[in-house]
Amino acid sequence: MTVIGANGVAIPEGTHGDAGFRTYEVFQRERVGQSTAKIKPAQLVSREFADNPYPLLAVLRENYPCYRDWLNNCFWITRYNDVTSVFTDDANFETRSKAWHLGIEGFGTDLRAALPVLTAQANAWDLNIRRLAEAAVADFAPRGEADLATEFAARLNMQLWLAMLDVTEEDAPLIAALLWRLHRGVSWDPRICLDGIAAAEELAACLAPLLDARRSVPGGDLISAVAGLELADGPAEPKDLVATLLEMDFETLHGALANLWLALLNDPEGFEKVCADRRYVKLAVLETFRHSTPVLAAPRFARHEVERFGRLIPKGGLLLCSAAAANRDPRIFADPDRFIAGRKDVCHREARGQYRADGLAMGMTPGLGSPTAHPAVPEDRPRSLYALTRDTLVTASNTLLEAVDQIALADGVERPRAVCRRLGEMHTCWRLPVRFRIR
Amino acid sequence: MATGCPFTLDIFAEPEDRSGDTGAQFDFPLMPEGQAFDMGHAPDGRPLFDPRILQSAEFFRNPYPYYRILRDHYPVYHDRLHNTYYVTRYEDITRCYFDDEGFNTIPKGSSSGVLGNTQLELSGVEHRRRRNLYGQHLVGQSLKNRIPAIQRQAREMIGAWDGINDTAVVSESDGVRTVELGMAFANEFPIRVVCEVLGFPKEAQDDFYYWYNSMMSGLGGSETHQQGLEARQHLEDYVEGIVEARRKQPTYLYDEAGDPISKDIISKLSETNLDVDYLSTEEITSNIALVVGGGGETTRGAILNMWYLLLLHPEQFEAVRNDDSLWDAAFHETLRHSSSIGGQPRHNTYDVVMHGVKVPAGSLMEMVDFSANHDERVFKDPEMLTIFRDDLSTGKILRSGYNKNGRRNHMAFGVGPHLCPGAWISHQEAVEGSRILLKHLKNPRINVERMAKDIDGVGLRPLGIVSVRELHLDYDLP
Repeated sequence: MTVIGANGVAIPEGTHGDAGFRTYEVFQRERVGQSTAKIKPAQLVSREFADNPYPLLAVLRENYPCYRDWLNNCFWITRYNDVTSVFTDDANFETRSKAWHLGIEGFGTDLRAALPVLTAQANAWDLNIRRLAEAAVADFAPRGEADLATEFAARLNMQLWLAMLDVTEEDAPLIAALLWRLHRGVSWDPRICLDGIAAAEELAACLAPLLDARRSVPGGDLISAVAGLELADGPAEPKDLVATLLEMDFETLHGALANLWLALLNDPEGFEKVCADRRYVKLAVLETFRHSTPVLAAPRFARHEVERFGRLIPKGGLLLCSAAAANRDPRIFADPDRFIAGRKDVCHREARGQYRADGLAMGMTPGLGSPTAHPAVPEDRPRSLYALTRDTLVTASNTLLEAVDQIALADGVERPRAVCRRLGEMHTCWRLPVRFRIR
Repeated sequence: MATGCPFTLDIFAEPEDRSGDTGAQFDFPLMPEGQAFDMGHAPDGRPLFDPRILQSAEFFRNPYPYYRILRDHYPVYHDRLHNTYYVTRYEDITRCYFDDEGFNTIPKGSSSGVLGNTQLELSGVEHRRRRNLYGQHLVGQSLKNRIPAIQRQAREMIGAWDGINDTAVVSESDGVRTVELGMAFANEFPIRVVCEVLGFPKEAQDDFYYWYNSMMSGLGGSETHQQGLEARQHLEDYVEGIVEARRKQPTYLYDEAGDPISKDIISKLSETNLDVDYLSTEEITSNIALVVGGGGETTRGAILNMWYLLLLHPEQFEAVRNDDSLWDAAFHETLRHSSSIGGQPRHNTYDVVMHGVKVPAGSLMEMVDFSANHDERVFKDPEMLTIFRDDLSTGKILRSGYNKNGRRNHMAFGVGPHLCPGAWISHQEAVEGSRILLKHLKNPRINVERMAKDIDGVGLRPLGIVSVRELHLDYDLP
């Protein structure tokens, strides 16, 4: 029986029986001495925060590990063990799709979990990263200088995506621009959000002929993988392809590659170690994930009222799980603000659980999801996105190191740093001018 | 374009001008009152709404053109920056207020951080029981019996102006006296009344006023938050002793003739057995804090706004002067035009779809009373102040709202189960206090020189979404 509430809204069957009126939500009153006066919520959406969130996050983590942010209507979770405990708790906390955040829920079906899609991505990245990295380096090497943020990190990420879709050079400029607008559209800013929604429609129209063509003549690319999928209501549509692309991580490879090189070039001693022993490249990548993850936080919504961290979280409550804060938790990592390639207290192996293996924790990168859903990777499945991204970053960096020598920050330019260009966007180094010598 | 790169790297460039961008505290230009800053347009021509405006100085002084955009184009606006849905049309808000199962009062606001848990957090029968504990003192015959005391408080305060030696509050020159009506009267008057109705000893009034001010300024994680918590603690420490005494020996409110009207609120709360147990001191303190918070700031704002707006409309002021009964209309029209309470938070218990917007269960839905009061679907020329309007109910305040003969009630007190229990006493304080003020003030006028100025440095600062902070009045001495 459908129950109609007094406001004329239908109440779903089965939910009204035990709901009714609520009693006290939370014993919310703060006590003298528990005041959260060390931080103001407006600071957490300030330019200061977007530029460098770490000092403010440290205030939260060390004083208010579950901070009730009245202005932005969320709870900030900032300690490592707390964040992972939410990430592992799907029973109590839900992840809402990027489509929901973009305001186009139901646009298409997210097919990321389909094995052919996973395989297509892994193959495309594995097969193309060295070639593309060499081409990028070949383009800027003769100049003896480059902007590694755009000419290397941003470019490589986009080219891997284009390779993954196997688009022609002719289509590439349009599709690249649409992909950028689509992913950037997941924003609180209505202008950018609308642009993202428009990009989703345009991209679906643009990819439709490719999807049709590959359904007839499939290749090994991601569009072909989607074309071959049968959904409950028929074959996958262009909107399903776009929905899948939207939900995929777009930021981490780009952002982490720029952040990795920013960190290395700011740490000559560590950089020397990496150059001398390439085994350290992987460790530097892992340390980048920990020290400067481009995706700072992941939102989770309480599925129902749940008591955690000394608070009663109401149903629907937003938990902003800050990977950035957790990754610098001194309870987990010694001297956490320092970038140390090869640090002893970070896990050097792929995690076997939520960001943990060998009894050690690893850097959280929310964009990449859980490190692995299949600890002992089955032979028919590609490795996790975490591992794939790590290896791609290693290959790209090794390619650069093999081609050039004496890389250093360019002289006479403002010291590069990582920032969010707009609140909520990825935290990375957007300009990284360097000079070098060709080997 | 790089030779091996099939696309231009320009796509990664920052496309927007970031001048003035300080995160969510974007530096919006201050616009002439009534005009909205152009936040851009969607391809379909709809004006865009940038959620950062809600935190801006521009919005605080000039909110109504922005609410109009929301009402006309986004009646349920999902603010992704602040994780909030704003409901802005009168009819929608009314429906939500009446459905307190579907739109629950669990607050995600900040007041309870300082005030403590109150019936604001409750719905249904639990809410009703607690609300009635003191609500009964603020309505009907009980209230009527209190009116002489309200009038006495007003006369005492105004009579004391002669002895005030503080030029920021009261000053005289050439037969003209200048008063800052807030400090001289409106700030403290409602607190004195509340203090008396609660049953606080007279000697505690100064402390009480300090606690009130500290708690109010300490709401919302502000810089004075710690002070607010300390004040709340002091209040609780003080109340503890009173409650223990009243549990043994209740005290009463008396009318002018000295006859007892009823037990005062603290005595009543102290002896109340609710849900098979007595209320704790903590609960009683929280309720007192709520009564103080609800009864102070709002009535203060109503009195100041009413005088300010009437004096800006001399013909309406003249009409009130000539017809004492028009104070009721002036009070209600003031609250419709510029109330002190912006809205109330609700949580939707279930997933709902309103105006095509899917709102997941448990979302914070902010019912914007300010906007409902300026909804042109209900009130004609809503930005205009007129005490003679024929679409506003100015009679008895009803929990059911009012929708007869084309007249609707304003939303400053809300409607439905959570209608402000202090609505009636607030009305009496503002109207009775104003009547006495009017008798005292000969030829009152705004001292424009001392008032806060707008962006042009000449005109008066718009009321916006805050009430008048200081109202400097000149009047002729007899």
